[in-house]
Amino acid sequence: MIVKADDLFAFLTRCAKQELPYYSRVFFPQRPFTHPDTLVLGNNPDLGILEIDSYRPVDPVKLLLYGVRERVYPEPRKIADQLVIGVKACDLHAIELLDRAMINEQFVDAAYEAWRKATTIISCDCTATAPTCHCTLVGGNPYSESGYDANLARIGDDYLLMVATAKGKKFAQALQEHAHTTAASLDDRKRLAQFRKKMTQKVEKKNTKFRRSEDYSGLRKSGMEPWQIESKECVGCGACTHICPTCYCLILNDESKGKRFVKVRSYDSCQWHGYARVAGGGTPRPHMTDRFRNRYLCKFDYMPSNFDRLGCTGCGRCTDACPAKIDFRSAVHSILKSEKTVQIEIQRK
Amino acid sequence: MSNPYRVIPATITEVIQESPMIRTLKLLPEEPIVFKTGQFVELSIPSVGEGPFTPSSSHYISDWMDITIMKTGFVTEAVHRAQVGDRVGLRGPYGSHYPLDKFAGKDVLILGGGCGLAPLRSLFTTMLHDVERYNSITFFAGAKSPKDCIYKDQVTGWRQFANVRFVRSVDVVPEGDQWNEDVGLVTKLLAKLDIDPKTNPAVVCGPPLMMKFGTWELLKIGFQESNIYLSMEKKMYCGFGQCRHCVMGKYYACKDGPVFTYDQIKNEEGIWE
Repeated sequence: MIVKADDLFAFLTRCAKQELPYYSRVFFPQRPFTHPDTLVLGNNPDLGILEIDSYRPVDPVKLLLYGVRERVYPEPRKIADQLVIGVKACDLHAIELLDRAMINEQFVDAAYEAWRKATTIISCDCTATAPTCHCTLVGGNPYSESGYDANLARIGDDYLLMVATAKGKKFAQALQEHAHTTAASLDDRKRLAQFRKKMTQKVEKKNTKFRRSEDYSGLRKSGMEPWQIESKECVGCGACTHICPTCYCLILNDESKGKRFVKVRSYDSCQWHGYARVAGGGTPRPHMTDRFRNRYLCKFDYMPSNFDRLGCTGCGRCTDACPAKIDFRSAVHSILKSEKTVQIEIQRK
Repeated sequence: MSNPYRVIPATITEVIQESPMIRTLKLLPEEPIVFKTGQFVELSIPSVGEGPFTPSSSHYISDWMDITIMKTGFVTEAVHRAQVGDRVGLRGPYGSHYPLDKFAGKDVLILGGGCGLAPLRSLFTTMLHDVERYNSITFFAGAKSPKDCIYKDQVTGWRQFANVRFVRSVDVVPEGDQWNEDVGLVTKLLAKLDIDPKTNPAVVCGPPLMMKFGTWELLKIGFQESNIYLSMEKKMYCGFGQCRHCVMGKYYACKDGPVFTYDQIKNEEGIWE
């Protein structure tokens, strides 16, 4: 269905201000008046303008589904339903991976499952790119075709709403009660297809100097030297892993009080020295280069073999967050390139 | 599905100081914990933390559990302060176990050192339960010095079985210590091995260096890569492949291990650290 942009924004703002009874919490990308250069995930429309298209906000949706610190035993308390709007394709890719990791035959993370059930995800097509965006390098697109409850795509002054699930239908019905909607025409769909193609090309053009590969096994084959070069500036702060939408490594803390056992999980980072260290001091990754390499191999080797999905979504947040300004794309590019040179040299010999 | 983080409270009913650094806790959980030998549990000291430990008692016992723990860090120091009557938490069991069915009818070699004897005692006492199922059991146990030897009170009993050979070796005998058994690294005992290495299984557990050289030595004398069982101890926080701390390439030490055959993991990185 088609809805006027103004009507949609009025509806969303009223939902966010709790003037409408549909959702207990509403999250959306916004530019805070205090920091207009930054696009964040917020829930107070008084603090900044809603910007549901553009590109992905600084904060990954992971934060709303897999909290920084959450109690996992005893079972988490009942939680409120929430609406997240303006989720980008890269974050949907991440949710798909987290779903496989958190809700499977052998294991269910109760807290994640509860949040996931209580959350309605409305994705939006990208209409701009951040300098670090590179979804097209890892098999993605700046628009979503699955994984959402409903998707909104901007066409001129209108939005095209595509519903995929019951939760999405509930959103559409609520919207219809407060906004005038019409059926989408063939022409609307054609314009959307054209725009999507244009956006994809825009992301591709931005990343022409980086390597797109179907096969990342070269990362593992590469010797240590290129890794040492790429990780030279890395200080091991762990910002990249905390902001990464697919990283979910956790620490389990014992916060038992009296006779009651309480377990709390919080984020951990494989970039930290203590991460894999065992009692007695031994660690399989004592040097920064080892830990730096571990993150890349996790994204391109371990996660694909565990979840049949690349661990990198191309959101570029790790590059933005890096205090040493290490560009993830160029590190992958250089290391893959160096592996090729090594092979050629071997052949020549 | 029940909460995988569920804690079963347990009471310490006995503390056995095995050596200056190693003690065994006898635990009485509030409900029986059924496990297979080689699997591990997470033991928590309330408000301190938890760590992965392999029970050292037979898997035919589920009402109580022995856990042998060496003092090496934050949690284990708290374990060494614990007293009879204290309440601790147990989660599990988790991970893979020793494939006893594959050991049936074989001459089984068990090679262990230091606190690595803990999971091996579980395996060994489980096997003693139906000892005639195995052709023979050879247990080579190492320790730093005579006072570091653990399970001292049980050795005589173990040596009573006709098809069991229990040999101990210590690295050094300090002046004044009594010792009339072998001296030298535990891997040196392999020279005394009288079973066919080609067709029989070997189980190794101990400090990382001992496991590394022990495995190499076993390969050298002719054991098959697929017949060498290693108990890989990594930082296993959660116990079911969720926290990712114990990742060894595509494997999780907690979920796919801790018991691996050498040919499974020989190409993974950092296995000996």
